Amino acid sequence: MASENVESRYFKRASRWKLIILVLVLVMIVTSILSLGIGFAKIPFSNIFQIIAKRIPFLNNLVDTSLVIPSEESIILQIRVPRILAGILVGAALAAAGVIYQGIFKNPMADSYVLGVSAGASVGASLVILFGVSFTLLAISTVQIAAFICAVLTVFLVYSISKVGGRVPITTLLLSGIAVTIFLSAIVTIIQVMAGERLQIIVFWLMGGFYNIYMSDIWAIFPFIIFGIFASYFFVRDLNILALGEETAQHLGVDTAKVTKWLLIISSMVAAAAVSISGLIGFVGLMIPHMTRLIIGPDHRILLPASAITGAIFLVACDAVARVVLAPVELPVGVITALCGGPFFIYLLRKKKSKYSL
Amino acid sequence: MTDDRGYVTTLTSYPERIISIAPSNTEILFALGLDDKVVGITEYCNYPYNFTAWFEAGNITNIGGYFTPNMEAIVSLEPDLLLAAHGMEDLVDDLREVYGYKVLILDPKSLDDVLNDFMLVGRATNSIDEATALVSVCQNKWDAVNTKIAEVTSKPTVYYETWYDPIWTIGSETWENGLIEAAGGINIFVNDPLEHFSTNDEAIIQLSPEVILLPFGHGYGPPFWGSFTQVKERPGWSTVNAVQNDNLYEINADMIARSGPRAFDVLGILAEIFHPN
Repeated sequence: MASENVESRYFKRASRWKLIILVLVLVMIVTSILSLGIGFAKIPFSNIFQIIAKRIPFLNNLVDTSLVIPSEESIILQIRVPRILAGILVGAALAAAGVIYQGIFKNPMADSYVLGVSAGASVGASLVILFGVSFTLLAISTVQIAAFICAVLTVFLVYSISKVGGRVPITTLLLSGIAVTIFLSAIVTIIQVMAGERLQIIVFWLMGGFYNIYMSDIWAIFPFIIFGIFASYFFVRDLNILALGEETAQHLGVDTAKVTKWLLIISSMVAAAAVSISGLIGFVGLMIPHMTRLIIGPDHRILLPASAITGAIFLVACDAVARVVLAPVELPVGVITALCGGPFFIYLLRKKKSKYSL
Repeated sequence: MTDDRGYVTTLTSYPERIISIAPSNTEILFALGLDDKVVGITEYCNYPYNFTAWFEAGNITNIGGYFTPNMEAIVSLEPDLLLAAHGMEDLVDDLREVYGYKVLILDPKSLDDVLNDFMLVGRATNSIDEATALVSVCQNKWDAVNTKIAEVTSKPTVYYETWYDPIWTIGSETWENGLIEAAGGINIFVNDPLEHFSTNDEAIIQLSPEVILLPFGHGYGPPFWGSFTQVKERPGWSTVNAVQNDNLYEINADMIARSGPRAFDVLGILAEIFHPN
């Protein structure tokens, strides 16, 4: 009787989770399609449909693209589609990394930048801009490459600083992450002072955004982010057990040191890949995991994928707003994420504050 | 003396120790032959001479950046006249009120204003003859351009790229916009009352300019936009009019940005690009 009960509860929960993911994926697709129609150029949805359908086998014979202007096709396929894909990848990456960091550190203030990914990327990008060596190498800009490499190096630095006799205490890791971030921020400030006329370029990179995102950028970060998120899914049960405390986790047979190490490596790569093409986008990595947790609960088996998709939806929507709200001026998307996300998060927190825990 | 901001300065004697806080001002001072009266310039000043050697030899002092000059360097030079530019109002207030210096702000909005500024600096520095000569040389260059574009029937639309990734370009409230207009072109963002602003590829592709101007001479190293081929190969740009008709040109970034004597040279260059026949 009891076992039957557990079984039915399990299936009920599993089907509820499937439903959540299905709904979120549908929302993501709808948001992306709506976002395709938003931009400086006013392109009717019928034309967008024809441009996209022309690229899909079987459908391509059914559409008539005679009314589509070539520039519209360029704008949709080469400007908006890559931007939306970038929004999906970066949003998912930052949110997933945020979930993992908050799980490992058991700290609500931890986000995808806590181990110095953001500070490292900033130093790399600013240096390239300062020395005027920003150009394109194998279809990827040197700013991105430098940002990615410096972000990964910074995480390794933080990790090795924190290593005490083969162990990496979580508190030490968090603190050395903060210390290195402060140190590197000072270096970025020095670079900004020296930058002269290039100052505004650095400032804009730091503010974050999806300027000039092309398919080559997407291909460059796609493997890191997708494989990273899938790989981290293998550790979701361990993350749940880690939430009970390190000691309990070890008693339950989880090799906490190994799990922590692998999760840090994976999530830092994911975050670094995201930051390398988008610059610093605040709020997503910190708040999206919290928002999702408030709505669907703290179980990492659903929290991780749901947060990733929610992050993708949120960032695609914010980027659409950033593109048009002051057109032809483009706002940094980080401004929009903070402006929209902050109040919404406070609303959720007030509404559910009695029940909330990590 | 009334400067471009309407601020009245009384000069009791002609200045002997002048500091220029903007590259355009330095170009005006040297064009008026005031080489030995200029004691301090910014680190961005690079015309009519490469001043690096001058700094090292101690012939002239580097007062630092454009918006953030070194106050101690300025004070130690004991200037009797400073020439400032737009965007440094707080600094100028300090120079006038705290240090009691005589400061003229040169903030020309049009080519006429530039000619007036030559005369203003000429009057302030006892070089009216030189200023008159400079004005007449520049006026002749300008007249030639006016004659040329008086005959044209259509004006090309122009995109001027200040930076790429993210794209920065010019709105109607910029010096460069005025130059393009005076040379017989139309900035594609002429209807946007903005200064320098960031936008995206989509706007350029949609507006499809007939001429693309790319700056060179930004600092050191290769230009940020790479080569004409790379610009043409930017995703989605193949439909842009200027790309299809191969109307990409590079233009000296300093000449187009500085409201000094070279503005009239770049005007001729632009007119030649916009109206080759």
